[in-house]
Amino acid sequence: MNSSLMNTNRPPQSIPEYLEQLRVALTGADPALVQDALYDAEEYLRSELAEQPGRSEAEVIASVASSYGAPDEVADIYRDTEVKVQTALRPPAPKPRTSLVGRFFGVAADPRTYASMFYMVLSLATGIFYFTWVVTGLSVSLSLVVVLIGIPLLILFFGSVRLLSLVEGRLVEVMLGERMPRRPLYSARGRNWLQRIGDMFTDVRTWSTLFYLLLMLPLGIVYFTINVTLLSLSLSMIAAPLLVWTGMATAGVSNYGWSVLNWSNDSGLSTSFPLIATPLLLVTGVLTLFASLHLFRGIGRMHGGIAKHLLVKTAQYS
Amino acid sequence: MADAPDDSELQLRKFQKELSAGTVSLALLAVLGSAAEPMYGYQIAKRLESLDGVLSGKQSALYPVLRNLSAAGLLDSHVEPSVAGPPRRYYRITEAGRTTLQHWTAAWRATRDSVDAVLEGERQ
Repeated sequence: MNSSLMNTNRPPQSIPEYLEQLRVALTGADPALVQDALYDAEEYLRSELAEQPGRSEAEVIASVASSYGAPDEVADIYRDTEVKVQTALRPPAPKPRTSLVGRFFGVAADPRTYASMFYMVLSLATGIFYFTWVVTGLSVSLSLVVVLIGIPLLILFFGSVRLLSLVEGRLVEVMLGERMPRRPLYSARGRNWLQRIGDMFTDVRTWSTLFYLLLMLPLGIVYFTINVTLLSLSLSMIAAPLLVWTGMATAGVSNYGWSVLNWSNDSGLSTSFPLIATPLLLVTGVLTLFASLHLFRGIGRMHGGIAKHLLVKTAQYS
Repeated sequence: MADAPDDSELQLRKFQKELSAGTVSLALLAVLGSAAEPMYGYQIAKRLESLDGVLSGKQSALYPVLRNLSAAGLLDSHVEPSVAGPPRRYYRITEAGRTTLQHWTAAWRATRDSVDAVLEGERQ
């Protein structure tokens, strides 16, 4: 009790203050856990306040410290319980669909699919940036090592790579759902700065991070291309029949070579498929679209694995 | 020097914590098993507060357990708006919960009897 009071600057005077201290005490915990803890505390505090109409908010909150717990204690309790029942506390996973059809089309209801899709598009931009950063940083600082100024530049560059690794980790966790570190890793407590710099060069993670950042360019290009190609193909396969049936496009036109959906000044919107083939085209389009969504989600999962492997050493993560 | 009393205090705390970790779920199930209507977290906490022993610990520990029991299908829950604050989550025991409660009660009684027997032996 005493120790917990010493940890807080001053006992909270109001419910918002109590909740704020609890939020601070839970810094770094799973956001879902923080949300739960705040919710429970607010319910309890408001109920307690409503039960004791005669007393002031500050008095009620002071008495709550012994029954419900001070913010620090409550934070500890929630952290403990989180470890014990981690799996049970997770937000309910989407129910696994049993039928094959349900599993195939259910991909459209999974938010992870769209996050992966967005990550694939974004990876072109981040890939170009990472690649440029690493190549420029390495070549500039290495070539200047001869005139000594390259050495601090190199150290600075390695520091920036650690930062990029953290940023990429956040992107991967938010979009691909792979749990990644939330703060930079200081493995070298109690070592002097020269040793720390040496650690940077001998740490496998530094090199695997550099490799990952370089790898992001080709991967980004591939991801982006797959994404744009499959989406435009399947969406135009779906759109063409619908446009033909509503009279906005003509079927069986092939004056500019063969195309699923085409626009030209003389014939307007058109498709090369004959009218009779349009229902089949629509079905194929829908199937292609859903198959692509599966592919996107799969790529997202796979990339999460790559990122985890190259950016986080598993031994340091347990 | 001042560590000695602190140490035994810590040991006791740890023991109480372990005791309550095992029994709190049973106590919550029992409270809800005998309740005539659904109860919300605060009410349940106040019910247990009047008891002695490990169950009268910090009441914030009850909420995660309630959530856990609910996730395991032993409790049913629904949310109702309240004038006092955020919407309240009401809990009610399910059929599976009642079956589990019977099993747990039997296990508890057996454990209590054998622990008592051992402690009696100690005393003589």
